[in-house]
Amino acid sequence: MQHDVELEELGSRIIEASRFLELAEEQLAHRVVGQLEVIRRVFIAMLVNGHILLEGVPGLAKTLIISTVASVMNLKFQRIQFTPDMLPADLVGTMIYNPKDMEFYPRKGPVFANVILADEINRSPAKVQSALLEAMQERQVTIGSETFPLQEPFMVLATQNPVEHEGTYLLPEAQVDRFMMKVIVDYPSYEEELEIMLRSAMTASKSPISVVVQPGDIVRARALIDRIYVDPRVQRYIVDLVVATRNPGLYGMVELASMIEYGASPRASIFLLLAAKAHAFLQHRPYITPEDVKAIACDTLRHRIRPGYEAEADNIKPDDIIRQILQNVQVP
Amino acid sequence: MNARCNILAAGWVKRLLWLLLLAILPPFAVVEGVQQPMVKVTVMPDTLLVGDRIHCTIAVQHEKGVAVSLEGIDAVALKPFELLSSRHSSSVAASASVEDLFELELALFVSGKQALPPFSVVFREASGGVRGRVSYKPSSSVVVRELTDASMRDIRPIKPPLSPSIPYLLLMPLLLGAFGVGVLVLLLIYFLKRTVRSSAERVDSSQVAQRKLRKLGSSLSAGMPPHECYEELSNIMRSFLETHYRISALEAVTQEIERDLKKLGVAGFESIMNLLKQADLVKFADSRPDVEESRQSLNKATEVIRSTRKSPPPSVE
Repeated sequence: MQHDVELEELGSRIIEASRFLELAEEQLAHRVVGQLEVIRRVFIAMLVNGHILLEGVPGLAKTLIISTVASVMNLKFQRIQFTPDMLPADLVGTMIYNPKDMEFYPRKGPVFANVILADEINRSPAKVQSALLEAMQERQVTIGSETFPLQEPFMVLATQNPVEHEGTYLLPEAQVDRFMMKVIVDYPSYEEELEIMLRSAMTASKSPISVVVQPGDIVRARALIDRIYVDPRVQRYIVDLVVATRNPGLYGMVELASMIEYGASPRASIFLLLAAKAHAFLQHRPYITPEDVKAIACDTLRHRIRPGYEAEADNIKPDDIIRQILQNVQVP
Repeated sequence: MNARCNILAAGWVKRLLWLLLLAILPPFAVVEGVQQPMVKVTVMPDTLLVGDRIHCTIAVQHEKGVAVSLEGIDAVALKPFELLSSRHSSSVAASASVEDLFELELALFVSGKQALPPFSVVFREASGGVRGRVSYKPSSSVVVRELTDASMRDIRPIKPPLSPSIPYLLLMPLLLGAFGVGVLVLLLIYFLKRTVRSSAERVDSSQVAQRKLRKLGSSLSAGMPPHECYEELSNIMRSFLETHYRISALEAVTQEIERDLKKLGVAGFESIMNLLKQADLVKFADSRPDVEESRQSLNKATEVIRSTRKSPPPSVE
């Protein structure tokens, strides 16, 4: 069987270029127990310039994962705790008056970092959320009349509180849509919990993490990811999945139509393809298979689907809807 | 003097006659310009419980050509009686008289002896003018008893249970027999359907797949591009796996099929997976097989399907 020479060459380059992720995983394993799926989702988002919305109860090592990833990859990490009294200037920075030369100088805010952990993003008012999400989208920040580009790689990981909690502001759908993935951080397994307990119950300070990846590695990997081959069949499969969230009846899922208030936006197709490419990169493959698409479908689509009243009454979650779609849309 | 005495005597006689006339007349207070009517009031029952209904009938017999109506029969005037409904009918009683019947349905919510309230009978001419009015005070009264435990029992007597006309015991064997026969028929239909369907599927899935593979081989010989052949081969294999092993192979990716087949312990698992992975390379990695490779894959697929026919599919349960 003849293989595309270009793809073969790309494949060998991917194997070589993705080695840094294995090293990073090894280093992370020294500090974080389990949560491998979450770590891989963070890698995927980082490899394709995406942002992640994290959801999970407190104490599941969300901050630890992110800060360790940043340390291992030699990236600047900033944790921003969002509060109701926060102002956009607290995030992006402000103009400071210098009485010596009687001029205003820009003071950059905490958003000027590589990895941002926006903790409890929905605790701050809409204008602060907008400021962050604008920075996420534009990858630049304007302070006064000056515009500053943000450092590359730039990734925001936001955590969200359930909106029923007092003093929270619901993240608008348009803003949630800008996050590439919504990752659910789950409890560790019994064995993992045992290991966490044994490792953490020490008074001695933990051994420092070695830097095994440089930001340049990520940028180089991005160039390879862009070259990953996507067959038209897989392209159509991605679009089929996204369209099925809007019109499930077209794919023989008539009963699902009443369960969905609105489906995923075209941004979902873009992010689904990007994330699938990054997933293929992690598997050292120079091409995407439907397996890559299926593997990240739930994380990419769950925050873009609003279940209808009927679904809520039946306690049907977006993940159930996505699973049903994946089971019914024919794989190429 | 005598004349004066005569006049006085005549006055006394007149007064005496008037008194006699008044004594003979029934208890009508006023009678104006009408022939003496006959009013009869009946109340049923005369003893009742609080809340019970009373049927009161006022029959007025009068001369022809006169319309009759009652005054003082309304919700306010009838207190403490509650007027529930009223009906008025008229019928010819004799050659020169007519009987008007007023049927009232009343209720009482006050206990004790209650007298019926007075009312007036109004006579009207055909033109509508009042010809006369007769006031009437009924002598009837009703005795209303309060509700007590004893009276409650009187209202709702507990009936003894009815004994069935046909003894159930005689019917039971018949009913049970009919039910049993029904269940047996349903079970028979279910098992027959299941056997027919499963045997048909087993035969069909492999036969259909082999027929499709033969057709694909012919298409390949006729000049079908090898990459299209692989796509078709993948579809045939997936359809076969779906019907033969009852796994959703058409909606599953190769890795999911691999997992399912491994779980089922399918014979020829490796060959099936090799075929699917080869097809995946052609479909998704832009690999270009030649005609000979395609033919070899088709032969391999035919062989795999034939070998699965020999061994029955493992139970999904």
